[in-house]
Amino acid sequence: MTTTSFLPRSAAAPPLDDDDLLFEILLRLPPQPSSLPRASLVCRRWRSLLSDPAFRRRFRIHHRRSPPLLGFIDANQGITFQPALDAPDRLPRGHFSLNLDDRYMTLGWRHGLALFFLPIPLQVVVWDPVAGVQHRLAVPPGFGFHPLENPINGTVLRAAGDIDHFQVVLVSSDGKQPRRALARVYSSETGVWGDSISCPVPLVSMVHIGEPAVLAGNCIYWLVSASNILEFDLERQTLAVTLLPAQVLTSRNRHVSVIRVEGGEMGLLVVSGFIAQLWKRETDSHGDVSWSIGRTIELDKLLPRNSEKEPPNMIGYAEENNVAFFWTVGGVFMVHLESLQLKKLPVTGIAYRYYPFEIVYTPGIGGGHEGVEVVRHLWWTRWRQYIRQLFS
Amino acid sequence: MATREAGKKMIMLKSPDGMEFEVEEAVAMESQTIRKMIEDDCADTAILIPNINSKILSRVIEYCNKHVPTTGATGAAASDTVAPAALAEDLKIWDAEFIKVNRATRFDLIQAASYLNIKGLLDLTSQTTIDTISDNSLEEIRSFLSTKNDYLPEEEQTIRRENQWAFQ
Repeated sequence: MTTTSFLPRSAAAPPLDDDDLLFEILLRLPPQPSSLPRASLVCRRWRSLLSDPAFRRRFRIHHRRSPPLLGFIDANQGITFQPALDAPDRLPRGHFSLNLDDRYMTLGWRHGLALFFLPIPLQVVVWDPVAGVQHRLAVPPGFGFHPLENPINGTVLRAAGDIDHFQVVLVSSDGKQPRRALARVYSSETGVWGDSISCPVPLVSMVHIGEPAVLAGNCIYWLVSASNILEFDLERQTLAVTLLPAQVLTSRNRHVSVIRVEGGEMGLLVVSGFIAQLWKRETDSHGDVSWSIGRTIELDKLLPRNSEKEPPNMIGYAEENNVAFFWTVGGVFMVHLESLQLKKLPVTGIAYRYYPFEIVYTPGIGGGHEGVEVVRHLWWTRWRQYIRQLFS
Repeated sequence: MATREAGKKMIMLKSPDGMEFEVEEAVAMESQTIRKMIEDDCADTAILIPNINSKILSRVIEYCNKHVPTTGATGAAASDTVAPAALAEDLKIWDAEFIKVNRATRFDLIQAASYLNIKGLLDLTSQTTIDTISDNSLEEIRSFLSTKNDYLPEEEQTIRRENQWAFQ
């Protein structure tokens, strides 16, 4: 019998003395923001590894499915980060902030990026607060903004497994009768808007600003009007409209939010008074859609009682962490919809909408800079667009 | 387990201390390194694995044996690719028992997992190591790693100042 042999490795060093193995082990540090700075205090060798851009990149990829909910952006208080985690992961208030000179509307936050719509110059701005980079894009033809005729909504995301590029999906109605919903996708990789995609929508359905989208599976969902959900399939590049469950449509005084339920599927959270009801959409093998009721959350038993008996108002949802933000007379609470864990945020006054900031954040260590690659890419994209315009 | 076809191909793995382990080819192929050797036709019926002693190699084989049906990486067992939740839960419990070993053995397993390129085992062993140290103080981590603090006090201060919030 013949024997095949590996090339023997040089004398076996303990794993933590071997840079490759230490790399593998340190990748599993928790994705919390204080992980890398704290671990870098162990010794110089660790610090040198933890500040290596290749390591930091792998760290973000390794944890990309479980980004911590670092905090939120309160729509009332400008574009300013507010922390939600406890020390030592509590980044200071205003750690990320942006001033936009133009009047803007926030369309949503996802994967550490924000998307704003500027109605006057008719542009969208993608802001990467960690890299400190803004990407301004002209809104493509067919998306002229009129609050009633052509309301606009949109969302930003990074494609699965990609931490370098982003996509912007804009949706609107065409303002004509019969009404159609339109969508176009911008990819930072190609630097262009894709073809216009459309589908008929019921008369009562209108895309509108204010309701941020939820990404579940391969689709993006917006609640449009009070009765329908607009669905954009990123893989098939198709638009479709789904009617809310009949039982939800007929109930009164309810607030519906699209959420991500177990298994990563799209679901609904219907809040009526102090009762929150989860709904799950199921598609059978024939492609037929049905809705089923999931659990019921009794918010009055969860949230502190208030003498005014004012029901809570859901003002935000963090899809990666499955956390809902509820405004109550007694303050704003984050509720984890699975464990029902509760956390009070130190906020006063009326809150209108909270945008979650969920990201694997690798703060600079030893002067390490996160944004270099992105800046170069932005410059290149702009230059390419400029040249294209010159010759068009 | 009864679904596997009869007449499975066997492979002999040899440790440097002279022990021989006869394992199913599919089990051995949990190691991407061995898989590549087999696919490239570089392997004969016996493969000598240097640097991994028989004690560690037998543990690695035990791990691969347990994990082979659920990964369904053989292609022939396509119906096994999606493990039911209960099976996944069972594997988790098994993994937790498997990794209850002393530090030296765990380090040897990390090395073996990296060397043989067995992702699941590398995940399990590395994650356990990180979990063991992440709640400890810096001094405890250093003593656990037998590493010295090679920073000057002012350097340590600079690092703390750099991301002050992370040290509160």
